[in-house]
Amino acid sequence: MGRLASDIGGTFTDLVYFDEETGALITAKSLTTPEELTQGVIDTIDLAALDPAEVSFFVHGGTTVINAITERKGVKTALVTTVGFRDVLEIQRGNRPDLYNLRFEKEQAFVPRLLRFEARERIDAAGNELEPLDMASLEPIVERCRAEAVEAVAVQFLHSYVAPEHEAACAAYLRENLPGVAVTASHEITREWREYERANTTVFNAYVQPIVQRYFDRLEQALAKAGITCPYSAMQSNGGTTSFSWAKEHPITLMESGPAAGCNGAALVGELCGLSNVIYLDIGGTTAKCSDIEDGKPKVSTEYRLEYSRSQFGYPLRVPVVDIVEIGAGGGSIAWFDKAGLLKVGPVSAGADPGPACYGRGGTEPTVTDAKLITGVLNPDYFANGQFALDENQACLAMQTIADGLDCSVPEAAVAVIRTVDANMINALKLVSIQRGHDPRDFALVVGGGGGAMHGAPLGRELGVKEVIIPIHPGLFSAWGMLATEPRRDFMQTALGRAEDVAIEGIRELFAGLEAEAQEYYRADGHEASALSSETRIDLRYLGQEHSVTVPVNLAEATVASVIDDFHAAHERTYTFRLDDTPVEFVTYRLTATARVARPELVRLDAEGRSAEAAAKGVRMVDFGEDGRHEAAVYERDRLPPGFAADGPLIVEEPSSTTLVHPGQKIGVDDYGFLRITES
Amino acid sequence: MANTSAVPAGGTDSITLEIIRGKLLATADEMGVVLKRSSMSPVIYEVLDFACGVCDPEGQLISQTNGITVFTGTFAIQVNHIMEKFSGRMRSGDIYMLNNPYAGGTHYNDVGVIKPIFRAGELFAFSISISHWTDVGGKAPGSLPADSTEIFQEGICFPGVYLYREDVRQDGIFDMIAANVRLPKMALGDLNASLAAVRIAERRVFELCERYGADAVQATFQHVLQTSETVSRAAVAALPDGTYEASDWIDGDGITEERFPTHVSVTIKGDAISFDYSKCSPQLAGPVNCSRGALISAVKTVFKAIIDPQGPSNEGYFRPLEVVAPDGLCFTATKPAPTGWYYEGTGQASELAWKALAPIVPDRVSAGSANSLCVTVLGGVQGESHEPWVMIEPSMVGWGATDERDGNCVTSAITNGDTFNYSIELLEAKFPVRVHQYGLNVAGGVGAGRYRGGYGSVREYEILADDTVLSASYGRSIERPWPMAGGRGGSCNFFELNVGGDTRRAARAPTTVMNRGDRICMYTGGGGGYGDPFTRPAEEVFAEVRADYITPEQAREEYGVVLGADGASLDEAATTALRAGA
Repeated sequence: MGRLASDIGGTFTDLVYFDEETGALITAKSLTTPEELTQGVIDTIDLAALDPAEVSFFVHGGTTVINAITERKGVKTALVTTVGFRDVLEIQRGNRPDLYNLRFEKEQAFVPRLLRFEARERIDAAGNELEPLDMASLEPIVERCRAEAVEAVAVQFLHSYVAPEHEAACAAYLRENLPGVAVTASHEITREWREYERANTTVFNAYVQPIVQRYFDRLEQALAKAGITCPYSAMQSNGGTTSFSWAKEHPITLMESGPAAGCNGAALVGELCGLSNVIYLDIGGTTAKCSDIEDGKPKVSTEYRLEYSRSQFGYPLRVPVVDIVEIGAGGGSIAWFDKAGLLKVGPVSAGADPGPACYGRGGTEPTVTDAKLITGVLNPDYFANGQFALDENQACLAMQTIADGLDCSVPEAAVAVIRTVDANMINALKLVSIQRGHDPRDFALVVGGGGGAMHGAPLGRELGVKEVIIPIHPGLFSAWGMLATEPRRDFMQTALGRAEDVAIEGIRELFAGLEAEAQEYYRADGHEASALSSETRIDLRYLGQEHSVTVPVNLAEATVASVIDDFHAAHERTYTFRLDDTPVEFVTYRLTATARVARPELVRLDAEGRSAEAAAKGVRMVDFGEDGRHEAAVYERDRLPPGFAADGPLIVEEPSSTTLVHPGQKIGVDDYGFLRITES
Repeated sequence: MANTSAVPAGGTDSITLEIIRGKLLATADEMGVVLKRSSMSPVIYEVLDFACGVCDPEGQLISQTNGITVFTGTFAIQVNHIMEKFSGRMRSGDIYMLNNPYAGGTHYNDVGVIKPIFRAGELFAFSISISHWTDVGGKAPGSLPADSTEIFQEGICFPGVYLYREDVRQDGIFDMIAANVRLPKMALGDLNASLAAVRIAERRVFELCERYGADAVQATFQHVLQTSETVSRAAVAALPDGTYEASDWIDGDGITEERFPTHVSVTIKGDAISFDYSKCSPQLAGPVNCSRGALISAVKTVFKAIIDPQGPSNEGYFRPLEVVAPDGLCFTATKPAPTGWYYEGTGQASELAWKALAPIVPDRVSAGSANSLCVTVLGGVQGESHEPWVMIEPSMVGWGATDERDGNCVTSAITNGDTFNYSIELLEAKFPVRVHQYGLNVAGGVGAGRYRGGYGSVREYEILADDTVLSASYGRSIERPWPMAGGRGGSCNFFELNVGGDTRRAARAPTTVMNRGDRICMYTGGGGGYGDPFTRPAEEVFAEVRADYITPEQAREEYGVVLGADGASLDEAATTALRAGA
């Protein structure tokens, strides 16, 4: 029996299969097939030559949801709101992040005014009904939806986060009277306040729901046809899996499934290495993403914003998403000069087509990959498993513009490009570490993605982490991480209360309620109650503050006083001060329920046929930037034995990745085949 | 192996300088995160009425957070005031507080916390944060009486005082604050948040020095200023030399309904630019004046918008710029003129500069907006425990159209920036107010054009607590937002008060008592249009009729678009005829 993970990315569809009997890992990669995404999945299954009857677990992640939204290819969607608030979706929050731009353009609402309708009803902030839901006010809405051939409807009433009854009744009416139309009520997706954010989240769910439904239906058929008949799981943004049937109704929870899976992979790598604090960095062609994993748990928040940048607010989505900082810096990032003549790298990327200049496919702009080739880091004959040779002449030609601008040589220009992009990545890494009150010396940096291993060592040094770890198959890391993923769902309840009014019995009761919800959800999904485990946390704040700090609570031992003590300490760590005399408020109770499933037992590396001599591939000249130009020994990763150790400068090559070790650093290969880089 | 790399480690080459610059920007951002997340006031954490920055040892702004545009232009003036005042006695571990409009500030509510950063005994940099405190005392809750005639009515002044002296907390000043403001816990909480912000900046600056060397950091300060100055001078030089003028009106000052003339004359000569406000009205009796520091900041905002809107702001950009105006005008008010509603003054001053330059840079601006913060302040006591509450709320307005697209609806005015409206759900949970409507002010309309202005908002509140005190002051209440290139003017700001059954329409309300069941309905205006409305494609006009943005009558009158007899289709022939005949 074995576990199969399938991950669709922008360029490639990846497969990782773990044979539970032999411990063998089988991988496959094929081009993503945008016209019919399920084809890529089937292609990789064919490539891997698996016996479908042996597959006992199937987990899938992909980009269907995020692509439908970013490409504006969702369905025609309507919105029903409380009377008086039809325009909230268009008004948004009124802010202008692009402060000095007198031509700033705010985000377009996903539902136009023509399809935004008002229902008569009103609930107050305490959840009291001020005006009952007027069912008659829904009739013309149904008619208009039919006339306009609406395919999905979102329902969002004020204060439904505390009292969802009106929304539920409205949704039920619409479902009954608009058969075939996807209906999402806001409380089904999130129970947090702030009407614009909740409305936008609900609209996005409705907007993609029919598409995701069709996609998963087709995938189920294709898998069944391929003979894979085990239960199917979908990877979610919160770092857990869910059933296909739940995913079809709540597609917005799948938004960032790939990065979430990567975080799980990083947490597993940390666990195998005995490290509970890990910073994960994934470098792809266009972006770098990083996250912090504390005490073995990826951080999950509901502060996600799609298409956010320094100059655009983006679209807020109040669903649990692994906390990722993403910047426009990757292998394809283009180097350029701004109007002051200063060197910048990214966020524009040469992408996969035409790709960096050195791909020789018509790209003429200098990219990070070109710089890595010029500095000797990349082996032109062993890129992407040698599928095509990199063209150094083209790289140099493109880099000449940077050299001209800096008035230096082409190799010097390449170094400047790498230093600049590394600095961008460092600032992002600091956002998830130092700026969250963490000391990087307590953390290991786990790198994934095709470009992670090339940048990991100097970034780790600058950040001051205790070591840098390059896991096996860094180019397939998201799929690998999915294998380590368990079913998960987050339950939460907002219940404001001042500390003096809160009793530990009340806290236990609240969590017992959430626990019961969790049991019900998993029972419906066919999980044993005994396999469930839950984690409890409480958001607290000083009276008067809006933003809270989340504190883990061990219900068996906690007292109200101990929770408050933990809060003071956490607040001080995060914000440099504590207010011992200010009343503390309990805000939101959070329960994360996971169902334990057997995780893959990673097999240790067999030393057979491996040795330093077998792995040695000679030397090449590499420019290490600030650390100088050096002749570096080159090794083939697949031949390195466990226990191998050597001092930098050196390079380790593998088909999908290149690891760089700087002078003053050393590398070791551990029992699992992970590369471990530390300062000498 | 010898180190033969062309780029020395930790050197002062341009790449290293850029890397340090990026880290200084990240530092300012981090200050903002700390301030926002640990503050006590909704106006800070929800509305984001604050700004943070790092200045060089001469007080010149090097990096800033996103936030309020008008604050960032005042940083240099405020830091310089502190440097002068504490000349010769500034020490490591000092932290100062300043809110004086006549020393570079804006109004008393905007409280600056300034920390000199010393390294090896030398003054190395400054960190500064400014945030809007909900209340600083004075004659009305929220400290913004719409009818104040002296600054003394607007609260307590911190004229540059020690909060910490060589790391020793100056308890007296904290006691003074607690004794003089209506919401002392909130004020002291916000002060703590500001202290955390300026301290985190010091820590980060020290880390930069360790990593790259203090010289490299100082060299970065110079590099940042010089490169921005170069960009700025080149941009000014590329503009045609000449003098460009604009006039406007201040629609009342809170004391009288009179209108006051304003005027700017912008002169561009080579790579220098001068803004002359000498012909503006003398300072006004009411609180819509601004002081010189705020005026300079207002001009910087628009100048930056025209020169290099996306480049991170710093003082270097502003070196080619000069602001001319004698003391004692509405934009250079002197003590004891009130400045509580200064943002109406700065908004006007900014927009004048924008309007004057619009004809030569139509590709960098939009038409006029309903440019006022339209601030409403409500306050009183609520609940069984009679807890005091104050809600200060700027309204968002319709912006003007550009040569490429319709104007933004409901967006913060020029003087503000990355500030937010209140969430209705949050507002109803915190304050004794019920919101009956928050929508586009479709009835008020916008400036028609090939591209139309953006819509303002309509927001209707019912008061749920007796003895609630209202104070409100809306600018742009008579003079409509200006159009460009043949478009039409926008619409104006006002509110309707229903107190004790009497309804009246106004743009300003000095301290008005409201009781349970009374209502205020706030309307903000729409922006000016761009281009001839008759050139707007008829389908676009028709689509907006269908979505209830405009009526069939407006379509015909403003756009020359005729609907079929059924009212549900476009009559193309009639439209063509009407448009041709016009």
